[in-house]
Amino acid sequence: MAMFDAYIEKVSGYIDEMRGSGRRCKELDRPGSPEELREGLPVAVGPGANPGIVLRSDTFVELGNPQAGSCAAFLWTDRPSMIRDGRITLFGPDIQESAEASLPFGQVLMVGGEGLDSEDHEKLQQAQHVADQVDGYMVRSASQNLWSRVSRDAAGRGFGFETLGRALMSLVKAGVPAVSAVEILFVTTSKEDVKRLDGVVSGFKEIGRSILKETWKARGYDLDCSLDCGSCKDQAVCDEIRDAIVARRKKTESGEAGRRA
Amino acid sequence: MDRDAVKGKSLARYKQERDWFSLLYQATKLLPGEEGRLQEKLLTILLDSKEKVVDCVENEKPFVAGYFCNAPELFHAMDLPWYMLMETPFLAASAPYLLSDIEGAESMGIGTDLCTAIRLPIYYIENGLMPVPTAVLGLLYPCDGAPMLHQVIEHNKAWKNVPIYCCDPPYTSDERAVEYFADELRRMADFLQQHTGKTLDMEKLVKVCEESNRSYALWQEYNELRRSVPCPHGWALGGPQAFAISQCFVAGDPRCTSWFQQLLRCGELRIREGKGASEKEGWKERIRLFWFDIMPYGWIFELMPWLEDEWGAVIVMDMFANFPYTLIDTSSEKTIFHDLAKRNLLDAPMIRQARGTAQNFSSDIRRIVKDYRIDCVIWPGHMGHKDGAATVGIMRETCRELAVPFLHIGLDLFDRRYASPPEVRDKVSQYFSGMGLG
Repeated sequence: MAMFDAYIEKVSGYIDEMRGSGRRCKELDRPGSPEELREGLPVAVGPGANPGIVLRSDTFVELGNPQAGSCAAFLWTDRPSMIRDGRITLFGPDIQESAEASLPFGQVLMVGGEGLDSEDHEKLQQAQHVADQVDGYMVRSASQNLWSRVSRDAAGRGFGFETLGRALMSLVKAGVPAVSAVEILFVTTSKEDVKRLDGVVSGFKEIGRSILKETWKARGYDLDCSLDCGSCKDQAVCDEIRDAIVARRKKTESGEAGRRA
Repeated sequence: MDRDAVKGKSLARYKQERDWFSLLYQATKLLPGEEGRLQEKLLTILLDSKEKVVDCVENEKPFVAGYFCNAPELFHAMDLPWYMLMETPFLAASAPYLLSDIEGAESMGIGTDLCTAIRLPIYYIENGLMPVPTAVLGLLYPCDGAPMLHQVIEHNKAWKNVPIYCCDPPYTSDERAVEYFADELRRMADFLQQHTGKTLDMEKLVKVCEESNRSYALWQEYNELRRSVPCPHGWALGGPQAFAISQCFVAGDPRCTSWFQQLLRCGELRIREGKGASEKEGWKERIRLFWFDIMPYGWIFELMPWLEDEWGAVIVMDMFANFPYTLIDTSSEKTIFHDLAKRNLLDAPMIRQARGTAQNFSSDIRRIVKDYRIDCVIWPGHMGHKDGAATVGIMRETCRELAVPFLHIGLDLFDRRYASPPEVRDKVSQYFSGMGLG
């Protein structure tokens, strides 16, 4: 599964280029299990960790307002050697030094695991969906840009990009056990840098969509079909095909399980 | 009926509808507090847009009939009054004549399997109950039913010489598709200029789009508030009004922005005070619902208050309150048309879902369930939404993966006779009980 490998290489190139251009850079290495990654964080991480929402007046810093610049990408590979597990790279100012600011924000999450395949794509996507899982950090509910806020309270407790990076790594590793390596890139330098990053990863969404389409097809659903099953004359044939696909899948899975045993 | 005969009859009906809203406006004056004033403000904007249409009909001034997804910012920038062809089912479904109009449509022989929101305007046009505009903007998407309305327009004696323009929707949703649709919108603007005599002032369009952006940004901010537990507002305030005020009357007007500012203030205040959708003594939010369609406007008062009172079930999010919009980049004419195309082809409610792709159903459910802490997804299964019926399996499977119950009802959002309110309440009750909700 090398679908995103080229993008991961491009992102590495972008990091080298940014580093080479003298941009302010912070690099941390925090490999570990989900529990180890959460240990010592200033805020709670996990389902329901964020009991409320972050109101405008409670916001310490805003990240990724479309006017300031926003970009987010999620890339995975079944070659974990491409990913430097635990690496958090930040270009630009950190949260603690950005009180009341609206920072441009680029975030690229790169994930590796030997057993990962297209069926894990949706699960991986879900695992990095923050929702209510990071206390004091709220990602706005939008279908496109990654636009988020850090609360004053969380900032007061020391919330920074290391916190966010470790939280995201922990969520992804906990959500998909096949993941063995996670690396994160954050960019807050300028709108131009974020836009350039967006150009580097553009196209990953299209690949993601085609993976999803194929995954649904394997389950027996055609995302492009616009017919009402109840009134479609081909329903019986369609149902038969769906049953055959499911039966074949079960047979393959039980065969694999047998081989593993 | 010829055009002259229609003028008087349609104006009488249009005024009747205006007076219905006027009555509601008087009633809202009795509502307490800032939230009461919100309803009042909304109805002021609605009544103003209706008055403008009345003035146009009476004084032979140009106006158009179209849809919310025809980039209404363009109408505003051209100073062109308009009304929505499906205005009664969408905005005035509480009017006392709705059911008799539906019966009237049936007696004309229109198939009862055609969406009621399409049957009604057909009935109005054929019976001279809708003002004949200077030009019509049609809709070739999201469903096959909508173009039937245009066929009626083209054959009706009073309407047949009214010029019609329909933007051609591309099948895909990629960049090429958006650019193609942007050109369609440009042609639509040319068409409007040609047939109404109005001109499109680009400077004004920039201002309108910037104001529209302000409204949308506040709407998005407000939606974040609805993630709070308990949700600060229920079915009665929030999403449907936000949709109407941003797209159905006068898009990109400072009064609309002011309405959103007030809505946001009200929501924030309720959150700070820890208030939920209802302030009835002992009431508690127990079920957070995602109603994935239009509200059942034809009988809304017989379901929604019951859901809140009986089950503590709050509509935290619905299809029309959903916010998938991106703001319009006003830096050039090209970016404006590009982003208007995106908004009207890919983001607008119902268009987003029914035109496709089906992945939107799945991804919107995933995002909303997670972000809004939804306990149950309801796909009402409106009889007109056959496109959605094709994706019920995908929606159900998505909900299964998210471990959130999914209820498919099967009803008519406008006609209470299809599935009666007691039947729907019974089905919902049984489902909630069976799933251990509430």
